[in-house]
This record gives sequence, C-alpha cells and structure tokens, in this order.
Amino acid sequence: MRLIRLGLLLPLLAFAGCAVKPFTKEAPAAPPPAETTGTTVDNTGQGPVIAPPPEPTPPPPPPVSQPQVVVPRPPPPPRPRPKVPPAKLSPASQSLVTQAQAQRKKGDLPGASVSLERALKIEPRNPLLWIEMGRLRMDQHNYAQAEALGRKAISMSAGDVRTQSTAWQLVGDSFRARGRNPQAQEAYAKAKEILLPPVEPSTKK
Amino acid sequence: MGENTNDTPKKRSLQRGFVILGLLLLLIPLVFVVSLDRRVTKQFEGRRWNLPARVYAQPIDLYVGQTFSADRFNAELTRLGYLPQAGTARPGSFRRKGERVDVYTRDFRFPDGPQAAQQLRLDFVEDAISSIKGTNGADVAVFRLDPLMIGSIVPIHGEDRIIVSPAEVPPLLPEALKAVEDQKFDKHHGIDPMAIMRALVTNVRAGQVEQGGSTLTQQLVKSFFLDSRRTLGRKVEEAIMSVLVEFHFDKPDIMNAYINEIYLGQDGQRAVHGFGLASQFYFGKQLAECNLHEIAMLVTIVRGPSYYDPRRHPERVLERRNLVLKLLADRGVIKPDEAERAAKKPLGIVDNTNRDANYFPAFLDLVRVQLRRDYKEDALKAEGLTIFTTLDPLAQQKAEQTLEEELHRQDTSWRKAAHGLEGAVVITTPQTAEVIAVVGGRRAAFDGFNRAVKMQRPIGSLAKPVVYLTALESGEYTPASLVNDRPIQLKLADGTLWKPANFDKRIYGRVTMVRALSQSLNLATINLGRSVGLSRVSHTFEQLGLDRRPPAYPSMLLGAVDMSPIEVAQIYNTIANGGFRSPLRTVRAVIDEQGKPLKAPELEVSEAVSPESVYVLQKMMIQVFERGTGKPARAELPEDLVVAGKTGTSNDYRDSWFSGYSGGHLIVVWMGHDDYSETGLTGGTGALPVWTKLMSTIGTTSFEPVLPDKLEDRWIDYYSGRETSNRCNGSAVSMGFLVSQILEPSPRCPPDLSYRDSSGSSGSGAATRPAPAAAAAAETITGEDPPEPATDQPETEPQTAPQP
Repeated sequence: MRLIRLGLLLPLLAFAGCAVKPFTKEAPAAPPPAETTGTTVDNTGQGPVIAPPPEPTPPPPPPVSQPQVVVPRPPPPPRPRPKVPPAKLSPASQSLVTQAQAQRKKGDLPGASVSLERALKIEPRNPLLWIEMGRLRMDQHNYAQAEALGRKAISMSAGDVRTQSTAWQLVGDSFRARGRNPQAQEAYAKAKEILLPPVEPSTKK
Repeated sequence: MGENTNDTPKKRSLQRGFVILGLLLLLIPLVFVVSLDRRVTKQFEGRRWNLPARVYAQPIDLYVGQTFSADRFNAELTRLGYLPQAGTARPGSFRRKGERVDVYTRDFRFPDGPQAAQQLRLDFVEDAISSIKGTNGADVAVFRLDPLMIGSIVPIHGEDRIIVSPAEVPPLLPEALKAVEDQKFDKHHGIDPMAIMRALVTNVRAGQVEQGGSTLTQQLVKSFFLDSRRTLGRKVEEAIMSVLVEFHFDKPDIMNAYINEIYLGQDGQRAVHGFGLASQFYFGKQLAECNLHEIAMLVTIVRGPSYYDPRRHPERVLERRNLVLKLLADRGVIKPDEAERAAKKPLGIVDNTNRDANYFPAFLDLVRVQLRRDYKEDALKAEGLTIFTTLDPLAQQKAEQTLEEELHRQDTSWRKAAHGLEGAVVITTPQTAEVIAVVGGRRAAFDGFNRAVKMQRPIGSLAKPVVYLTALESGEYTPASLVNDRPIQLKLADGTLWKPANFDKRIYGRVTMVRALSQSLNLATINLGRSVGLSRVSHTFEQLGLDRRPPAYPSMLLGAVDMSPIEVAQIYNTIANGGFRSPLRTVRAVIDEQGKPLKAPELEVSEAVSPESVYVLQKMMIQVFERGTGKPARAELPEDLVVAGKTGTSNDYRDSWFSGYSGGHLIVVWMGHDDYSETGLTGGTGALPVWTKLMSTIGTTSFEPVLPDKLEDRWIDYYSGRETSNRCNGSAVSMGFLVSQILEPSPRCPPDLSYRDSSGSSGSGAATRPAPAAAAAAETITGEDPPEPATDQPETEPQTAPQP
C-alpha cells in the first residue's frame, strides 16, 4: 500500500518539479552579496560592479576590483600552440577546384563560381576553398571581396601557417590591385614572416 | 466693318467651340479606352503564365566517403521521379541490388552548363558511399544529380500560387470550361451579347442576379482588374476591357491566364487562385494528375467558390458536379459512359494536412522576396527563366515534420495556454550563409502567413549574446569578468518605473560573464549592457546584419526588439560564421531561356566583428548547453555533438525562441500564438525541443571554433572566474583569453602550468590540451555542477557556491 502511494507520489513530485520552474534554474539564491572593500560600488544603481581583469599591458597593473589581495604573478609565457597540419582538399573538392580553375582559365567565371560553391557545400570549413573563391573574385575585379575572403581564410586557419601564408598572399594581391601598395607590402611581409620559425617563442605576440 | 470684324471672330469662336466640344465628346471615351487599354496590356504582360520561371532545390552532390546510405539514395531518386529500371537502362531510371545502385541520370542544364545523362554504379558500405564508377569502370570523384523542381513562379508577381504552363494542363480542363461557362469562347470577341441578353431576361424573371452571362474573358478581366461590385458602370468597363484583351492576345493565352488566375476558394487568410493551387488545395496533387471527376469538381467551383465549397457543402457540390458531368456528355466533350462512371466517384477531397510533399510555399515566398531584392525587374520579366535555389528538401521536410510533431505534443500537454500554438523554423548553413529550409507555420503547405519572414516578435533573451559580444568587443571584459546581478530600477521616458527581475526572481550577486549569459540572468545583463553603452549594443545588432538599429532603450537589452525568425537567423549566422557577415540567400543562380546566367549578387563576406570576440562568445554559448538554460537538451543530443545557442522568452511567455548552431547548421525556432496571448512556455520548453530534435536528425557536424592566433584556451572556475584546472575542479570551463591576459589563480585548484617547464620540449601537447581521460572526466562531472570547495574564497564569494 505504502509502495503504491510512493509510486503515485514520485511521478507527481517529479511532475510538480517540472511544472513549478524550468529545470534550468540554479540552486537557491545565496544571500545578497556582501560588498567587499576594494570593489567599485555603484550606489546609483547605474553601472554594474565589474572586476575587469587587467588587460594585456605587459607590466601587470594591480587588479583594481578583485575582492581579494592578489598575489600578482608574472605574465605567463604563451602556451605553445598545438601545430595544426596544413589544410588539405578532399578528393571530391579537389576535383571541383581543378574544374573551377579550368573554367577560370577559359574565362567562364560564373561557371567557376558554381563549381567552387559545390565544393564549399562539401567542405564549408576548408580555408583553401575560401582562398580559391578569393582568387576568383580577383579575376572578377572584386578586390574588396577578395580581401574579405582572404581574411576569412586566415581566421579559419589559425595555427596552420602554410595556409595562412597563402591567404596573406591573396590579401596582398587584393591591395596591390587596388593600388594600395604599402598595405600590399605589409600583407606580403606577413605571408613571408609567418612561415619563419619563431626565434624566441616567448616574445611572440 | 467694325461690326463685321467683330462678328466673324464670334462666329468663328462659336464654331471652334462646337468643334472642340465635338472633339471632347469623342476624346473622352477615347482617352478612357486608351487608359483602359494601357491597364490591360500592362497587367496582362506582367502576368504571363505561359512560361513561368521554374524553381529548383539545390542539387545533391555525391562523392566517395560521403555519409549517404543506399536507402537514402533510393529515396532521393524516387523523390526526383527516377523509376526502377524495367528492361534496358534509360535516363531517369535506376536499379538497386542491396548495397549497389546503378543509376542512369538525366540530361540537365545547370547554371554552369548542360550536364549530359550518364550511367553510374554506386557502392555503399555502412551508410556511406564507398565507390562511384562510370560505365568504363573509371572512378568518378564527384557527381551531381539533377535537382528537384519545387515550383513554377512568376518572379515579379508577389502572390503565392502554383503556376501551370499549357503543357501541364489536362486537355480536358479547357474543353470543360468552355462547355460549361462559355460555349462561344473560340468565336466571340470578348463579349457575347446574346448571353448577356439571356442573362438579363433570366435575372429579371428571377428578380435577382442569378446568371452571369459573362464570357471567360470577362470573368478573367473581372478577376484581374475589378472588384466584385456589380454596377452598370463596372459592367461597361469590364466589357470594353474584355474586347481589348481579345484584341491584344490570342485565345490560348487567354485560356491559360484564366486557368492560372481564377478564384477557386479560400484557405484561411489566403485566397486560392488558379487551378494549379486549387488541385493541391482540394486533392493534394498536381493539376496534370487530376482525373475527370476531379476536373469536373474544379469546374463546378468556378461558379461560386464559397457557395460550392466542397469541404463545407459536399452534397451541394456533388450534385452540381454530376450535373456538370452530364452537361459535358451532352455537349460531346466526354462519352456518356465516362460521365456515368465519374459520377459514381466520391468528391475525393483530401484532409488539409495531406498534400504534395514537394510544395514549400514559405521557402518560395522568401525566394520571391530575394529575387526582387537582388535582380533587376526587367531581367525577371523574361520568359522561361530557371531559378536555382538553396533549398535542401530533406532538411525542409524534417523541419516541417518536427515542428508539426512538437506543436501537436503541445496541443495535448497539460498546459492549456500552449494548445493551438503556431511556429516557425529557419535553417541556414552558416559558412555559406544559405537558407536551406523555411517553415512559416504549422500547416506548412497551406497557411498563407509566412511567420518565418513576415512576422516580427520580441526576441527576448536571444538579444543577450549581442550584449555580451558588445562587451567583449569593448576590450574591457572577459568571460571571467564579474558582473553585478542585483536589482535595478529605471525611470522610463513615460515616467513609469521599470523594475526588471530575473526569470526566477532571485538575485545572484556577483557572477562571471559566462555564467550570466549561460543562465540568462536579466539583472546582470542590464547592468552589463548599460555600462557598455546602449547605443553600442544597438550598433552591434546592425553590425551582425540587422537592417536597422533597434532603439537604444534599456529594455532592448532584455530583448524588447521585434524581429522575424529570418532576421534572427541573419544575426546568429554572423556569430556562427566567426564574425563574418554574409547576407543570407536563397537563390544561387538564375539562367535565362538560352542558359545564360543573369547578373546576380555573389556570396559576399565582410568582417563584422572581431573573430577573437566571436570566439570567446561562442565558447560562452557552448556553456548554455553544458550549464545554462539549454542544459535539458544536452541529454537529447548526440553525446559527441558540440553545439552553441541561446534560449529566448519574451514577456509573459508570449514567445518561445531558440537559436543555435552546430558546425554545419544554424537553426532558429519560434513558437507562440498569433494573437500574442501567453503560451506558458519558455524558450527552453517550447522551441528548444524542436531545435534539439532537428539538430539530432539533419546530419550535422560538431561545432569546433578555431582558436584565433591572439587567444589561448584556459580553464576558469564557472562561478568565481579564477583560473583553475579541470583536473581538480568540476566547475572548470574552458574559455578563450588573450595570451597576455592575467587571471587570478584559484588557490584551491590552481591552473596546470606545467607547460612552462615543458615549453619547447615535445610534451607541449599534453600540457595545453587536457589528457583525454581528464577531459572525459570533466565532461561527466559537468552535469552535476559540483560547487567549488567552500575553502576556495568562502569569505568573499559565498554566493558563487550553489547549494545542492
């Protein structure tokens, strides 16, 4: 009998639990925060009290609003980035890129665009395809887009220096085509520099 | 002489006056006719139904290694109308033997040129394609199936209808129309005086308007240009215009226009125009497939779609349908025994939910909108265009089905307020910014109101990522920054006092940014947003791709911003795409009759916000599922699928939203009532289950944000923001920080800094990335949210330790 009652009760409880509040809610609220010395107190109710961890300046300024006395530690050496293997095209997208390149050579730019979009459907996150797309935009004299696609490829291939270098090359070309030579030189320099092994990893920004 | 000279001009002016008057008398009707003529030609030209644009879904590319089962391939071929091979292989046929499919594709003209039919052999192993070979045995790297046709539209015409070209009309239909409505159609010049006389006599006798006496041309003109008032003036105007139409266009054109134009019923708010849409609406099939008894019924309805509404008055319609059949037999259009057999058949009206699987009005609606936005009007007027869209039929069907199921589940739930809800879904592929599915309501194939595009509702907490992104962009905040979650009162412009509260009415005190976002804390967000600056937040909306800046009121921070689901998809797409904004698109290419592509806008990319800020935001949005408002969904998702997103609930539970993404897809789901009444649902209980089901079934990939060069991942304590290690702290979350960022270490469980000693050595991988075992351990503990041990700063941050 008791068991039955329990059996009835349990689902009910569970049900009530669901009904009363969304499951996502946190544990009961803690008492209101004690204002600690050192915090920026905003009694107008305007801004929030925030403890912004100090920003990248090399000599670490004392943390302003951390509630506790902080033992400042020296700026950590950057963690060695895991090496990302250079991006590669899958056989399917490789064949479409080859096709797109042939179409570009023939001057069939809309056709090349279709082929590259097919490849992008297969590998949307492959930076090499976005670089190819950027090259096509160069052919179409759409240099601003070529640059944007180059930058997208750079952002997608963080850690993969070879691909990034190719993308910087594209960005450089897009500047040169617009007659913005200083920026072009800068981009070309990046394309070169990125391939060099870091001399002193700790000074790398 | 003086008199004479005075007289003559008088006479002359009098004469002139008469001439002018006479001319005017002639001119006024002439001007009238000319103006009518202009209207007729202009309207008619704009609605050329004979060669509508054909609209295609995106083609399926197949390649070795692709996850694609033989069953699915079989289903796709069937959907495309490929037939099982009988006898010799011919284009458009296939033969399946277990895990091997031989297919003979069709000729098809793609935007990049024609693709010839080819014979291919595909082998499948474990739901993936293992080989594709041509007839000569050579490997094929990738090949493209001809795409699914999803409709015919007249691009410059804004209405939703299914256009049929003469080839798609059963020959019986025009014959039947002539026999029943206008026997002299082939001979008259727009009007039939005898019929008008006859009608006049009958009407006078009956004492009321019973018989129209209108020719098909007149009916068409009335439908095109005039309202339904029956005044004499209207009748005259209609008659003149009919003659003009006959003057300019030939009979087959007029008949086809009639078939595509005439009003045949009402579906809620949507008028059903044209036989193409009507056959879908009543029989759930294409007009070309209609049989005699069905055609007879459609012809019956012409007389009065509401009087002869087959769903409301089936007996009345059946009676008249059989009368029509008899008339057709009497007038020699069909044989008497055909008529008799057809008369024995039931009406065959389908349930509203039963319909052609390949009709996607909400998506087509967006295609129309974008065509008019992106292409020149003149170019769209050309006949015989082919439009290649981004629709993914499988994703579209899954979206319709899932939404319908979930709405049905709500219909039967204990929450009365959630009965009879409406919903909308948009799916995009973030990198390419393509819209692959749009669902505009629960009756995806019928309801004319496209909520995904035309409805704007408050987005609730979907606005929060925009606030946090603005904070990150300012450079003054990190996920570890502490934000004050405490009560606030704001005097509004109208003098009232606004006292926002958290969803659960609690106050959390000082919380980390990552926690405030994951748990969708209102007070923390308002405080954060106000210190970052309302106008900056408003600007971020625009940066992300909204076409306007929301008014910079504090309530904007909590989502008092009206947006349509497609607009939400646009701003979230920019986030999912690493901060690169691309206008969402549904049209990839349009080619003209000769196969030449029309000048079109191309995939466009611009950097909207810094990739670094977006990376950090994305890592915080992943926590929504691990620890925040999306947590209930975590267990329903495939275990290894990483996703990021945000719930949204508007005031008084009027709108339930979820917007989130994986590596391959962004899905936005909305649920609510059309009349803005309460739903009793949060974003987590209404929209999220739809989202989760969809994400689990459309075949997507994990979200793996690429760590930007300037950042590194570090473990911080979710509650205190102190740097920690996931090996000894169950509340450790991995967040992105500037390499130079200084974080306060957790005394109880300090960060693992072993990489310092091993830097340069080969062991770096182990130091920076958690060992698999440790990662797995962290993964399993996250569900429990074990508090940081109380010894870790109990005196300063008591509020961060949740009670079990």
